[in-house]
Amino acid sequence: MDLSLGTLGSAASALALGLAVYALIAGIAGAVRRDARLQTSARLTAVAVFLAATTAVIVMQAALLTDDFSVKYVAEHSRIDSPIWVKVVTLWAALEGSVLLWAWLLTGYTAVLALTTPNHALRPWALVIMQGVQVFFLGVVALVANPFVVLANPPFDGPGANPLLQNHWMMAVHPVLMYLGFVGLTVPFAFAMAALITRRPGTEWMQLTRRWTLAGWGFLTAAIIAGGWWSYEVLGWGGYWAWDPVENVSFMPWLTATAFIHSVQVQERRRMLKSWNVLLIVLTFALTILGTFLTRSGVVSSVHAFGDGPVGPVFLGFFVLVTLLSLGLVAWRWDQVRDRAELDAAVSREGAFLLVNVVFLALTFMVLIGTLFPLIVEAVNGARVTVGAPFFDVVSLPMWMLVLLLMGIGPLLPWRKAETQSLARNLAWMTGGLVLAAGGALAFGLREIYPVLTIGLAGWNLVSLGLLLVGAVVPRARLTGRGLATTTMRYAFEQRRKVGSMVVHFGVVVVALGIAASSGYRTDVQLRLPYGEPVAFGQYELQALAPFSERGAGRVSVGVEVAVFQGGRQVDLLRPHINAFGNSSMTVPTAAVRYTLGHDLYLSVAGAVDPTADGVIMRVIQSPLVTWIWFGAVILALGTVWTLVPPRGPAPAVVPAGATGRARA
Amino acid sequence: MNRKWAYGLAGVAVLAVAGFMIFQALSTSLVYFILPNEHAADPAQYDGRRIRLGGIVTPGTIAFDERELQLTFLVTDGLVAYPVRHSGAPPELFKESTGVVVEGRFDDGTFVSDNVLVKHTEVYVAEGDHIDLELLRESLK
Repeated sequence: MDLSLGTLGSAASALALGLAVYALIAGIAGAVRRDARLQTSARLTAVAVFLAATTAVIVMQAALLTDDFSVKYVAEHSRIDSPIWVKVVTLWAALEGSVLLWAWLLTGYTAVLALTTPNHALRPWALVIMQGVQVFFLGVVALVANPFVVLANPPFDGPGANPLLQNHWMMAVHPVLMYLGFVGLTVPFAFAMAALITRRPGTEWMQLTRRWTLAGWGFLTAAIIAGGWWSYEVLGWGGYWAWDPVENVSFMPWLTATAFIHSVQVQERRRMLKSWNVLLIVLTFALTILGTFLTRSGVVSSVHAFGDGPVGPVFLGFFVLVTLLSLGLVAWRWDQVRDRAELDAAVSREGAFLLVNVVFLALTFMVLIGTLFPLIVEAVNGARVTVGAPFFDVVSLPMWMLVLLLMGIGPLLPWRKAETQSLARNLAWMTGGLVLAAGGALAFGLREIYPVLTIGLAGWNLVSLGLLLVGAVVPRARLTGRGLATTTMRYAFEQRRKVGSMVVHFGVVVVALGIAASSGYRTDVQLRLPYGEPVAFGQYELQALAPFSERGAGRVSVGVEVAVFQGGRQVDLLRPHINAFGNSSMTVPTAAVRYTLGHDLYLSVAGAVDPTADGVIMRVIQSPLVTWIWFGAVILALGTVWTLVPPRGPAPAVVPAGATGRARA
Repeated sequence: MNRKWAYGLAGVAVLAVAGFMIFQALSTSLVYFILPNEHAADPAQYDGRRIRLGGIVTPGTIAFDERELQLTFLVTDGLVAYPVRHSGAPPELFKESTGVVVEGRFDDGTFVSDNVLVKHTEVYVAEGDHIDLELLRESLK
């Protein structure tokens, strides 16, 4: 028995699983018997689980960094001459490793929750749910997709990580953000279930988890946009979203989570939508599991389904289990979550939130149908089909317009019932903004309906945001006698939730403009660029200088230097190229982009770089306002962070659990 | 109670409209993946529709017009071969006897493609005409 990294890693993950099972059992027993000692034991074990899982991750990193090819995962996905950062991110470059990462983040969240959640009646059961989910993931790591399997005959070198993943540093960021989002949204799910079990269907569970929910949503949002940027830079077609199954399955939980963070406010303020909120968070969590099943099992083919194996069915089983258990729980506690309050008026804040919820749910349904339809067709008549992007565009665009419309109205409407006079005045101003912006777009020569509508609705939303800010700041300034700037600053610091949401909505407007312009008005051509001769393209002249080839760590690049001229002056030098990694026969065309605020110039080598030819064929794309998407995403993230930072001064105390926790110690 | 009914009805109406739109859009934007012989069996079914046509590039049929950037070749499944015209450079790794999936529409007997995907297949067309269709289908997945 030698102590190789493989056995060490297997031992660590087995230990983590064993501890997690103990914590689950102790947690359930402690919660059922209200035994504080068992509960404490379960809580402290959560920390031990995290430490064991951390050991497993460290062992895997050690194996990757020391090129220990006796570990199967390393042998199958790593390579000696890859750069260090690639070896580090190889942890999540393939299935087994990414499940390990997911499990590890989950144990981390659970440990933090176990240590920091105040002693509340919901805590024991919420931790039980977290531990249950954790047992599943650690079980997959230790028993189903163990990355630490030891190879009897280790190879001298491996094939390296998937070339598409190695090709861009974003791959170091995007998956981690995604899992942070998924795991973060497990927390409100756990507390919702705990609320049902303990018959406390009030707003405690959502208030206790508000930060976790928002942070999870923020990570998921950032992950999706980061993934879009990765596609943009790596896939060579100048787009960032293709309605590919892998994209769709990360998008569905985002849609339901977005609906959720709006509808919880209705429950907080109006004590309505109790069951709806529970169902939404169940749906969100279930969709993260379903998505993993769909993309990891190979049932849905995708341009970037990285690997498959026995993990698919296990996730399907877990999805079914989670759905049945949580829906059963909702049914069992139905009279607890039934709404007693009624909607006073449709034209009210809660009315708008409800409507936008329905739209988000319809969008989720559309994405789900579009993603699953090929499966249904194949099952029915054996035909192999794909659902093209036009389907998603045709169906979702009207709904997105509705979302933008409601985003402008909702925050201006008061709770319960809107006063018609002020509403009419606000609507008049906003309609003015809409007409002005859309009219400007038309005057500018834009004719396509959705871009024009989006620009109009951007105007509508900007006016709405202005009205919100003015309506809050001006009376305060008048009351206190301070200047407008000071008042705005104070308001921003005091009302973080309100101001944060305004910033997020502003970010959404910027992203929407970027998407509308870049998808509606792009030029996409293939040009032959003879070496040394400038070729006109729009406002630019492109001159291919000479082919080049260079060697990096574990990588060979062949490409062409292209000088970009504008008005006779060279403004850029782009180096589109094709990367080959290790021995992999797969090559990755790597685009070169000139980013500007107004538009992007995107060059990607079409076909091959033939050093004997006298020119190169280049795919040249110009798309307007793409950078706005990435800027908008940053604004969105900042707004989310703003709402999360605790306000200065004493925080509103969470109502303590009373005697429940310690009752029978 | 009346109000509840009204909201319920409104919700059902919204869902019905959305459902109708979804299925309407689905029926028009399904892209079938077929082999040339499947098209030959029932060309009318795919008339004017966007499809994904899979097969092997017939050796000796590749022609590329450097000036106009027009790529033409024959794609075959061993039973039927169709001419393909693609505007743009041949993708990297595109060569004779390799598996391809082309996306586009039939226009007057020629397949006009806007996307050529190269697939690595274990199917060889050089020796005789017989191709294992199941293997071909599977490898073009």
